[in-house]
Amino acid sequence: MMHLPPIPAWESLHPLVIHFPIVLLLLSPLFLLIGAALSPAKGLPYRYAGLLILLLGTVSLFVAAATGEAAGELAERGGGVDAVLTAHENLASETRLLFVGLSVILLGMIALPRILHRQETRLSSTFMPLAYLVFYSVGILYLVNTAHAGGRLVHEFGVHAEMPASDGATSATATEAQEPAESRTD
Amino acid sequence: MNHAESPIGNKIKMVLVACTLILFAAGARAATTLENMQAAYNGESNAHARYLAFAGKADSEGYGQVASLFRAAARAEEIHAGNHAAVIRKMGATPAAKIEAPVVKSTRENLEAAIKGETYERDHMYPDFLSQARKDHNLAAIKSLNFAKTAEAEHAKLYSAALTQLDHLKGSQAGTYFVCPKCGFTTQELSFAKCPSCFTPKEKFEKIS
Ligand SMILES: [Fe+2]
Ligand SMILES: [Fe+2]
Repeated sequence: MMHLPPIPAWESLHPLVIHFPIVLLLLSPLFLLIGAALSPAKGLPYRYAGLLILLLGTVSLFVAAATGEAAGELAERGGGVDAVLTAHENLASETRLLFVGLSVILLGMIALPRILHRQETRLSSTFMPLAYLVFYSVGILYLVNTAHAGGRLVHEFGVHAEMPASDGATSATATEAQEPAESRTD
Repeated sequence: MNHAESPIGNKIKMVLVACTLILFAAGARAATTLENMQAAYNGESNAHARYLAFAGKADSEGYGQVASLFRAAARAEEIHAGNHAAVIRKMGATPAAKIEAPVVKSTRENLEAAIKGETYERDHMYPDFLSQARKDHNLAAIKSLNFAKTAEAEHAKLYSAALTQLDHLKGSQAGTYFVCPKCGFTTQELSFAKCPSCFTPKEKFEKIS
């Protein structure tokens, strides 16, 4: 009979949660793009969806960063790992800051017309979201670079999370590159 | 004269060899993570006392900068001992250290002894203990041992640099070092936003001179 896998420790969660911000934050601009292409009224639900996905993605970035630091404490240092780990950590902090800013801006762009009881126009429903997406692309650049540094840690340096042992104990470890890389995730 | 051994003698020999092998195998079993943590706690506690004694000697010989380095490293070892002790308690045991009277020689010899100790911890003791802790999936032990291993590597570098420049450091004033309060990472310059080992913000580092 199939069972649920054991619940991982906080230090082991990073590989599980890290995919949420990547997917959500890359998905959000697609909804904004569809919303911009439609009329102000028809595009509104897409802008709402884009905002909601962005907010969820930004929250998940915080969880990813916190679990990443916890996992990083177990990673053995020395050699090339140090520089890549530092880059990954710094990029993650910058990415988090950028998406907090992007979330505040989009929230303002969508909420302000409602608060001020102003009718949506092409300017607010199409041109401003398109201009916003140009700024958003900077966030994506940081996001993919953070993910790339994480990917290097896993696939180049063999830093990987160890999945729960048979007794239910869990751990996240960083081992030498030559060790087997079962359960590798970035 | 050459003569054949009796079958009974051979049997006795075989039994003796088998007994020796069994006893050797039992004695050579891998130490448990708890035993390793106790050994690490004992080592760090003694290193703390030893480095403070070395600092006093460096001060008396006019190596103010080296004395500061020994004090910073002593603080780091104290942090490691505290981290290890917490893990030992978490495992249901009581941390126990046997503090030996430090052997204090000249500052040059003390630096050489310190480099030897840190290098051993970095290259042998902590990697072996980490390997066992990983096999045991003991996250708390892995974290504490990893923090210490990373800091010892920095200590070895700092001690080596001090030994190389020892002649120039004669008559030097006390220097400034920074120690991470969480992991004991020791540095002369805060050239980072967060501790490279445990991500503690640099503002929280302790200043030692
Ligand atoms: Fe040490
Ligand atoms: Fe630290």
